[in-house]
Amino acid sequence: MQNVLEMKGISIEFPGVKALDNVDFSLRAGEIHSLLGENGAGKSTLIKCLTGVNRKDSGKIFLDGHEINPTDPGNAIDLGISTVFQEVNLCPNLSVAENIFAGRQPMKHGGINWREINSRASELMSRFHLDIDVTRPLSYYSTAIQQMTSIARAVDIQAKILILDEPTSSLDENEVQLLFDVMRDLRSQGMGIIFITHFLDQIYAVSDRMTILRNGHLIGTYNIDELTKFELVTKMVGKDMDVIFNLKRAEVADDSEFMLKAEHIGNASTINDISVSIKKGELLGFAGLLGSGRTETAQMLFGVNRISHGNITLEDHEIILKQPFDAIKFRIAFCPEDRKRDGIIGDLSIRENIMLAVQSREGFMKPMSHQEQVTLANKYIKLLGIATPDCEKKAGELSGGNQQKVILARWMAAEPKVLILDEPTRGIDIGAKAEIQRLMLEMCGSGVSVIFISSELDEIIRCSNRIVIMRDRAKVAEVDGANCTQNDILKIIAEGAA
Amino acid sequence: MKKQSVFSRLTNPKYIMVYATIGIFLIIYAFGAFLYGDKGFMTVRTFVNLFIDNAYFGISAVGMTMVLITGGIDLSVGAVASLTGMFIAYGTSVLNLHPLTCIFAALVMGVSLGLLMGWVIHYLKVPAFITTLTGMFFARGVCSLISRESIDIKHEFIDSLASWKIYLMKYVDGNWVRIKPIAFINFNVILFVIMIIIGTFILQKTRFGRNIYAIGGNEQSASLMGLPVGRTKILVYGFNGLCSVLAGISYALYVKSGWNLSLQGGELEVITCAVIGGTLLTGGVGYMIGTLFGVLLKSVIPALITFNGNLLSWWGKIATGLLLLLFICIQRFVVTSSKLKKA
Repeated sequence: MQNVLEMKGISIEFPGVKALDNVDFSLRAGEIHSLLGENGAGKSTLIKCLTGVNRKDSGKIFLDGHEINPTDPGNAIDLGISTVFQEVNLCPNLSVAENIFAGRQPMKHGGINWREINSRASELMSRFHLDIDVTRPLSYYSTAIQQMTSIARAVDIQAKILILDEPTSSLDENEVQLLFDVMRDLRSQGMGIIFITHFLDQIYAVSDRMTILRNGHLIGTYNIDELTKFELVTKMVGKDMDVIFNLKRAEVADDSEFMLKAEHIGNASTINDISVSIKKGELLGFAGLLGSGRTETAQMLFGVNRISHGNITLEDHEIILKQPFDAIKFRIAFCPEDRKRDGIIGDLSIRENIMLAVQSREGFMKPMSHQEQVTLANKYIKLLGIATPDCEKKAGELSGGNQQKVILARWMAAEPKVLILDEPTRGIDIGAKAEIQRLMLEMCGSGVSVIFISSELDEIIRCSNRIVIMRDRAKVAEVDGANCTQNDILKIIAEGAA
Repeated sequence: MKKQSVFSRLTNPKYIMVYATIGIFLIIYAFGAFLYGDKGFMTVRTFVNLFIDNAYFGISAVGMTMVLITGGIDLSVGAVASLTGMFIAYGTSVLNLHPLTCIFAALVMGVSLGLLMGWVIHYLKVPAFITTLTGMFFARGVCSLISRESIDIKHEFIDSLASWKIYLMKYVDGNWVRIKPIAFINFNVILFVIMIIIGTFILQKTRFGRNIYAIGGNEQSASLMGLPVGRTKILVYGFNGLCSVLAGISYALYVKSGWNLSLQGGELEVITCAVIGGTLLTGGVGYMIGTLFGVLLKSVIPALITFNGNLLSWWGKIATGLLLLLFICIQRFVVTSSKLKKA
């Protein structure tokens, strides 16, 4: 088969970091090619170079044998490179139909032909088995539909190359299968597809070849049957899997005292009645589907959602949480689910991000000197292994895993008694995941009680002492982490009782 | 394709703000009709006068709506309109130029200033607020440079244009007669309506217009979708400069003079019209029809106060302030509730 795209010797340097170092990549017409690597390995940078978001420092790109230099995403689309970016990159205020056709609306009598836009959009969405009103604004629909919309847009452009950067992160199993069908369909039409995902199963399900990057270097390109999953991960991480996940559960004596106890707490709008308790140094897992009430419970314990009944005791004293500030005062810490929106302040430096919780507890009357702040920040950068040249780099410029570590550092610096982590490992790669888990367990070892919310059951089981299982905004069971399997939990989630 | 019922099309959540504006306008109008119906509040003349007395704000609000939809703001419109008046007044009275020459010069000035500000905002990444504040001081400064006295505009072309009017007629017993009390529309009203129509066409029927919405929705996304963000933003400020100049011409016809301190604070009145017309200050949402009703809503309040006769005109400002507050609250509510729905 013929190469539709060839990238040769691509290097890109950001201040302080060599993001890509002499990377070669080729894509054949009519293949699905997975691009793999940990976060920060350079996958997104390679894509951004191809789509004209980032300029390359050296190297050449050939499309159908002609050298190209995409200057901006519009230019890349004109050249025949269509992309679904990692975050949903559409306009929430425009209708679904318009998001699909923006910039290339069909015209009639000198004006936009809305009728055609809407009918063609409806057709496209029905290809994904979505029978929705395409004239409503995008913000009206769930993230999954938004993601499908951006895929529909990229597919409809009829490009030579389609790039899918983590397109499946918010899709459910059926939607993923639909997407795969569409991808196979496009492949048979001769389109070259670059597919990026951190779900290994999906790679094996759909791709023909894969290219692995690590720390900006090319590790190699392989046919899909050349590597086992295990070998693949080893190549991605550069270490053995067993070493990475050699984690030990926190040790909690049966008679150790309770750190936090919530009894029959609830409010009218979210969860009506739930009781949870956590011991000193214990790791309590929260399992359940998205929307089962895990996050809402955590938010009640942090004072984001006010409770209208029930009581919360911290070390045998009843506490009243009216707002997150109260919780911080009682040394309860909370890392929210959406780190971009609620956690990291991208325009502040790493140091400033780490200092936020400490400063807010100390009060603004007692400012810390710059030197103290730098020392503290550097301590955590070293402790958590945050990859950065110095503590003054903007947090927004870090990779996902490193951002998560900064948030963790923020709360570790605040020396919490209870740490609530809502999906701390979402969207980060295996190596960073293992590190986050190791850090959680280390904190448990130092006597902090950790509440760990995650959609990935294997990591919940690997780390938790006890697991609370949520379903339909209520707690349905509590199981021992050491003596349960994924199937046990899945069964409870599906059937609703222990 | 699933055929859409008219009902589902009308209940599309994106129209909520426009409905709120039209609804509140109708309520206030009905209120006026109830209180002062016997004094002639319900006549066509009163309604048409809303247009005549506020056409210049309305013309400027057309461009402002577009600027606000991109998520920007333009504080220079009042000063640019005032400068246009100075061009016409000084040009005709002192330099003995034909008004059309002055208008042409003003158009070149207004549009290039707009384009320049757009360029600075996009490429130098200076916040729109600061850039257009600078533009405002510049234009106001040039006004005072030309003259610090008010200059009357005395030119037959301007006189004839200002006094040109079409009387509204009705058909009685086989003859067309002027309706009583006499009502007419003038050049300003026609210009206002035409600008609203042009604005609607641009926003709803051109790619340029849709790009304006996309930029206001999420500028980064718009650029990743391959839309020409820079060009669109610069042209929007250029178009707004054009609207400012047209508003200045309209105001000059209305008061027949140029004064360096005229329309001070006019930019805020224009922004108010757009906002109570349902344009979101955060960008991405707004309709010309909303802006039209925004202008009417803002002008119906002084009309009510005039009809009352006993209230001080300052009550108008207070009422406008309350109205603005109400609309910002509604906007907040709409934005938050749509977020809640998603969660």
